[in-house]
Amino acid sequence: MKLETNAQLPAVLLAIQATPLTNTSEANIQGCYISDLLSDVLAHAQPGMLWATVQVHRNVVSVAATKDIPAVIFTCGRKPEASVIAEAEEEGITLLVTPLTTYEAAGKLWQAGLHE
Amino acid sequence: MNAAPPIDSMVSAGDARKITIAQVLVYELRVRDAMSKPPITALPGDSLREIQKLMKRHKISGVPIQLGTKLLGIVTIEDIITALDQGHIDDLAEKRMAQGVITIRDHFSLVRAVAEFERHGFGRFPVVDSADRLVGVLTRGDITNCLMHQLEKRAEEAIAFEAAALASRAGDDLARRIVIRAPVRTGDYDSAGKVSQRLRQVLRERGIDPDVRRRAAIVAYEAETNIIIHSLGGEITVAVDSDKVVIDATDVGPGIEDVNQAMQEGWSTAGRLPRELGFGAGMGLPNMKKCSDVFEIKSGNGQTTLVHSEVFLRKAAGTL
Repeated sequence: MKLETNAQLPAVLLAIQATPLTNTSEANIQGCYISDLLSDVLAHAQPGMLWATVQVHRNVVSVAATKDIPAVIFTCGRKPEASVIAEAEEEGITLLVTPLTTYEAAGKLWQAGLHE
Repeated sequence: MNAAPPIDSMVSAGDARKITIAQVLVYELRVRDAMSKPPITALPGDSLREIQKLMKRHKISGVPIQLGTKLLGIVTIEDIITALDQGHIDDLAEKRMAQGVITIRDHFSLVRAVAEFERHGFGRFPVVDSADRLVGVLTRGDITNCLMHQLEKRAEEAIAFEAAALASRAGDDLARRIVIRAPVRTGDYDSAGKVSQRLRQVLRERGIDPDVRRRAAIVAYEAETNIIIHSLGGEITVAVDSDKVVIDATDVGPGIEDVNQAMQEGWSTAGRLPRELGFGAGMGLPNMKKCSDVFEIKSGNGQTTLVHSEVFLRKAAGTL
């Protein structure tokens, strides 16, 4: 899935009512990992995945950068502070937010074909 | 929480490395590290003449005009010169100030600040924090001064470190290969990932394989968070060898009571705050071990903890 936040969002992200928070140009996303535990993401997520979490602390950006995760979606409408968004932009990481719960978002992402 | 910059010691620093340090600093340092603070401001009802005196007294070239916490505009030395030339130096600031001022955020990196100066062509920016409060003023001169100051400081640290290293471990050239040496403070959750970030940058500059880079960064990240969450403070050093990245984390205690237990996935002694922030999964040490080709840990109740990890540059360890 090609993600270009400045242009139109891909159908997969429209399905979960995602809104981009960063002005990052584009990212290639393959698959998704869901966890709110940072070490778990470091251990089990694969580079290139979309990461869904309710954590909005700046360490999310550090972990995503460490693991080469190009995009993070915050669920339950949770939004990080402006400084976290700025840091993500500097790291070239796309941040998105969805009003859905993690469970609902996961279901819709799968349905929309993100697992393929 | 404006942390003292971590110590980087480029021990075998040739000219090429020095340029790299300057480049790294531009990314590492934030606007808040370089800006003049607190900001010298004036009220909309102050006259330009009063503002001119203010500039002279504080040796500054621009004064933000503020009412309460609201930034209304800015009066610059150019405005004062024009006012003197055209005879309206006794006008009030609100009549002559530039409005719709473009500000810059205190958490921006200096490289971004430089880009903003180039883009807008201004001589200065009022600096605001994430709550839009005016916290300082940044000029190009502030950036230069801050960089020079930091470079000087790091050069002194590098020289001192080199001297100490040579004295204490003569013949051991490991000390010469140390690329990062950084203190890690207990409870400083906001700084988690700083060492790891720098390590990724250093390894990228050296053209090291992405998988090795990622594994070394994970080891450094987990080491940092362990020191922040569990210890009373410590230090991380990273050395890059021709065939491996060596990461050593040490702290000043209180030690791990049962190392075997700590090595089990899911076992954690982290408190409520770190858990709320997503730490304390009980996977830190196992993650470090999985990412390492050589992994050693020495600890005990009431002792310092030493974690030694080696990530080989060629043969891959785990599949992380």
